[in-house]
Amino acid sequence: MTESVKKARRSMSRLERKNTLIAYSFLAPNFLGFAIFTLVPVVFSVFLSFVEWNGGPISNMKWVGLDNYASIFKIEKVIEKFSEGEFFYFFKRVDLGIALKNTMFYTLVTVPLTLICALALAIALNKAVKGAVAFRTIFFFPYVASMVAICVCWNFMLMKDGPINQLIQAIGIPFNKSWTADSTMAMWAIILVSVWRNMGYYMVIYLAALQGVPRELYEAATVDGAGKWQQFVNITVPQLQPTTFFASIMMIISCFKIFDVVAIMTEGGPGRSTKMLVYYIYDVAFMQNKYGMASAISMVLLAIVLIITIIQFRSEKKFAND
Amino acid sequence: MKKMLTLVLALMLALTVVGACAEGKQVLTVVTWDATTTPYLIAQEAAFEAKYPDVDLQYIDVASQDYAIKVGTMLSGGDASDVVMIKEARDIINWQAAGYAAPMNDFIAKDAYDVSGFVGTEVNYAVDGVQYALPFRSDFWVLFYNKDLFDAAGVAYPTNDMTWDQYAELAKQMTSDGVYGTHYHTWLSAVANWAVCDGVNTLADREYSDLAYFYNLYQGLEDAGACMAFNELKASGLHYSAAFANGNVAMMPMGYWYVSTLIGYINDGTCNFNWGITAVPHADGVAAGSSFGNLTGAMINEKSENKDLAWQYVAWLCGEEGAAATASTGARPAWVSENVAGEMASVAGFPSDEASKAALIPSYVGMEWPVVDKLSEIQTIVNEEHSLIMTREIDVDEGIEEMNERVAELFE
Amino acid sequence: MSQTAAKNQIRQDNPALQMIGKTALYIVLIAVAAFTLVPFVWMVSSSLKLDREVFAYPMKWIPETFRWENYILIWQKVPMLTYFRNTAFIALVVTFLQTLTSSFAAYAFAKLNFRGRDVLFLAYIATIAVPWQAYMLPQFIMMRSMGLYDTLWAMVVLQAFSAFGVFLMRQFYQGVPTELCEAARIDGLSEYGIWGRIMLPLSKAAIATLVIFTFVGTWNDYMGPMIYLTRDFNKTIQVGLRRFIQENSSDYHLIMAASLVSLLPVSVVFLCLQKYFIEGIATSGLKG
Repeated sequence: MTESVKKARRSMSRLERKNTLIAYSFLAPNFLGFAIFTLVPVVFSVFLSFVEWNGGPISNMKWVGLDNYASIFKIEKVIEKFSEGEFFYFFKRVDLGIALKNTMFYTLVTVPLTLICALALAIALNKAVKGAVAFRTIFFFPYVASMVAICVCWNFMLMKDGPINQLIQAIGIPFNKSWTADSTMAMWAIILVSVWRNMGYYMVIYLAALQGVPRELYEAATVDGAGKWQQFVNITVPQLQPTTFFASIMMIISCFKIFDVVAIMTEGGPGRSTKMLVYYIYDVAFMQNKYGMASAISMVLLAIVLIITIIQFRSEKKFAND
Repeated sequence: MKKMLTLVLALMLALTVVGACAEGKQVLTVVTWDATTTPYLIAQEAAFEAKYPDVDLQYIDVASQDYAIKVGTMLSGGDASDVVMIKEARDIINWQAAGYAAPMNDFIAKDAYDVSGFVGTEVNYAVDGVQYALPFRSDFWVLFYNKDLFDAAGVAYPTNDMTWDQYAELAKQMTSDGVYGTHYHTWLSAVANWAVCDGVNTLADREYSDLAYFYNLYQGLEDAGACMAFNELKASGLHYSAAFANGNVAMMPMGYWYVSTLIGYINDGTCNFNWGITAVPHADGVAAGSSFGNLTGAMINEKSENKDLAWQYVAWLCGEEGAAATASTGARPAWVSENVAGEMASVAGFPSDEASKAALIPSYVGMEWPVVDKLSEIQTIVNEEHSLIMTREIDVDEGIEEMNERVAELFE
Repeated sequence: MSQTAAKNQIRQDNPALQMIGKTALYIVLIAVAAFTLVPFVWMVSSSLKLDREVFAYPMKWIPETFRWENYILIWQKVPMLTYFRNTAFIALVVTFLQTLTSSFAAYAFAKLNFRGRDVLFLAYIATIAVPWQAYMLPQFIMMRSMGLYDTLWAMVVLQAFSAFGVFLMRQFYQGVPTELCEAARIDGLSEYGIWGRIMLPLSKAAIATLVIFTFVGTWNDYMGPMIYLTRDFNKTIQVGLRRFIQENSSDYHLIMAASLVSLLPVSVVFLCLQKYFIEGIATSGLKG
C-alpha cells in the first residue's frame, strides 16, 4: 500500500468525521428536545408492555413477561376455538381483534379517499382560478375548527331526518336511520367526518409541493404535444412522489391513531362496531388502570405502522434510485 | 411578533407572581369538578371557611367528563393535593389499588367519628374493612313530572306507588302531538338499572336476564312514540336537562341531583312550568319507594402533607354540618338525619306538595354499580351491549345473552 | 407531432371547450365548498340560539330570535381572554421553535450523509406511531419531576420538538435538486450557508405549511393541555371550551359561539400564509 493511498483514506475518514459532526450539529437542537420529551417516554412504554402497573409508584410495577400480550390476544381461547374450527374467533369476539379489524378497514378506506380528494383540490386550485384564495381557505376550514363543535355538528347532520339523509333519499337511496345508530353506517360516519376534516389539510401539503414542480417541465411537455392527462401522469405524479410518501405515511399513522372522532361521535358503538385501537387503549389505560396492558396494545399498533413505513421507505429509495 | 411575545411573557410572569402570594392562612386543596358552577360546592366552601376562618379552601377544578383520566394522571405523578373527590365507583377502586388513598380508620377511631348517619353506604368506600373515603352525597333516582302538562291533559299526577306497567300506561296516555309521555336519557342507568331496586340483583352478578323486562318496557314506549327515540337522542347529544326544560316532556326518571339544576333553570327563567317529583315506579313484588343511586365522596390523598387538616375537612364535609350545607342547595347529602331532610324540603323552589316531600325518603336504595373486582371491564361490556339493544341492532334476548357470555369470559 | 398531440392542440385552442371545462371546474369547486361549509352554517345558526333550541327537532336553520348576546356571554361566563392569551403564547413559541429546529434537522436528514441516518430517521417516525395515551403517564411523571407541571412551558417543550415537523421538512428538502447544494459547496459555501442562503429561501411554501400546521395543531390541542394545565389562569381555549359542558348541564350554543370565535385567529394565520402557495419556484436550468 502506498503512502498516498493511506493518506487519502485518512483524509477521507477525517472528512467523514467532519461531515458527521456537521450533521449532528444540525440535528442537535431538535433531537435533544425530541429525545428527552418524546423518545425516552416512548422507550419506557416499550418496557411498560412487559410489566403489570396500575399507575401508582414505580414500586408497584411487576414484571410479567409476555402475559400482557397473551391476555390482549386471548391466546389460549383463540387457539382453543381455532382447533374447534372457529377460525375467525379473534376478529369476531376478542376486543383487540375487533379493534384491529375496525381500524384497518377505516384506514384502508380513509387514506386513499382523502389523498385523492386532496390532490384533486390542490391541482384545481393551483391554476389561476378566480377566487382561489377563498376556496383554499374554505377547504382548510374544517381542519381549523374545534373537534367537539365539529363532531356534535356532524352527529346532528347525520340524524334520521337530517340533511344528509334527506339528500340521499332525494337521489333514491331508502336509508332512514341515524348513521351513528347503525352498526355499518357508524363507521362510514367516522370516515365521512375524517375525509371532510383532513381533505383540506393534505390539500395544503400538495399545494406546497406543487410549487416545487418546475414549470419548464410542463412547458416542454406542451411543446412535445403531451395532453393534460399525460402531463399529470408523467410529470405531476412523479414530481410529487416525496410528498405522497410523506402524506400517505402521516395519514396512515393518524388513521391508525384515530381517537377524538370516535370518542365524541360514537364512543366505539353501537356495540363494538367502531371500537378502534386507540379508543381501546384509552379504555384499558384510564378506565381500567392497566397501563402495562395498554402499552402492549400500543406495541401492536407500533409494529403494524413500522412495517408499513419500512415497506414504503424501501420503495421510496428504490424510486429515488431509478 | 417579538413585541407581542415579550408582552405575553411579561403578563404571564406577573400572573404567576400574583398567584404565588400567600395570605398566611393554611391552604387546603380539594380536587373536584365544575367547581365554579356547582351550587353545593360553593355552599360547602362558604360554610367551611366560616367555621374555620384560618383555613383557605381551594378547589382544583377538573373538567367533569375527563375527571378520571386527569385526576388519575395527577395522582400518578405524585400530586400533593390534600383531598380528592370521588366521582364514580371505579375511581375509588382504581385509586385505592394504586395506593393514592390514605386509610381513614385511625382518624375515625381517634375522633370517635360517628358513621351511623351514612346508614351503611360508607361500606362502598371500604376495602377489606379499611375505610378509604367517606360519602358526602348520595343520589337516588326519582321521577320528575311536569304538572302543567298533566293539568292541561286533565290526567291525575303520578303517585309514589306505581308499578312500571302503570307508569307505561300513564306515559302513553300523556303522549299527544308535540308532547312526549316520558323521557329516557341514553344511559344504561336511565333505562335498565331498575333491576337492582329489588335488593337482590346487581349489575355485576354476571346474570342479566333481569334487565329484559325493562328493555322491553322501554321498546314498547319507544314504538308507541311515548318517548324520544334513543337513536335521535344519541346522535343529537341532547342533554336530559334541556329535554325536560323544553316543557314538552311529561315525566322523566332522573337522579335527584336534577332538582337543583331545575330550580336553577326556573330561577333564571330558562324554563317556566310547575313540576313535582315522585318515587320511581316499582316492579311487581318490590316495595314502593325502592330506587337505586350512587355516591359521591372524598378521600384523603396519601401524598398530602397535611393529612390532619384534610381529615378535618372530610369529617366536616361528610358529617352533619357539611350535609346541611349540601342540602341547602337542593343536593342530597349522604348523611341522613331529620335536620337534613327538613333542610332539603325547605329549599326555595322545591315543590310544596306532600307527595314530592314524601318522595325524599326512599324505602330502599340499591347501588347503581357495586364496588367489585373488574368493575370497569364489566361496565364496558354491559354498556356496549346496551347500545346494541337500544339501537335495535340486536334484540333484547340476544343482547342479554351476550352480556352474560362476555362477562362470564372475564372471570374464566 | 403525433395525432393525439394535434388533437390536444385543438382542444387547448378551442374556446368553447375551454369554457365548458372551466364551468365544470367551478361547479365542482362550489359544490365541494358548500359541502365543506354546511356544518359551519349550522354552527353559526346554533351559536345564536338558546341551548334548548340547538337540538330542537325538526331543525331550524334560522333561529327564531338572534341571540347575539351569546357572543358576549362567552367572555363573561369564563375567562376567555386569559385562555386566548395562553393559547396564543403556546402556539407562537411552539411554532417558532418547531419551524427553526425542524428545518435545521431536516437539512441533515435530506442532504447530508452520516452514519445512523436512516435508523435515526426511522426512530423519529416510530415515535409518531406510538399513541400518546401509551406513554402519557411516564411522560407526565418525568415532566412533573422537572417542575413543568401546570406551566405553559410544559406545552411548549412537549410540542416544539415533534417528529412531524422534521419529517415534513425533510420531504420538501428532498425535492430540492442536490446539484444546487453541490454547486454551492464548490463555491465555498459552508453547510450552514447552504441551509440559510439556499434551502430556506427555496422552501418558503414548505415553511408556510409547517407554520400553519404547527399553529393550528397547538391551537386546537385538547388532550395535552387538559392533562398538563390545571389552574384556571393556565388553561387554553380548547380546555376552556369544555367548561360549557358540565356534569348536569351543557351549553352547546356557547360552545358553538366560542368555537367560532377561536376559529378566527387561525383563519387569519392561514390567510396570511396562503400566498406562498401561489407562486411556483423557478428552478430553471438546474435539473438534468
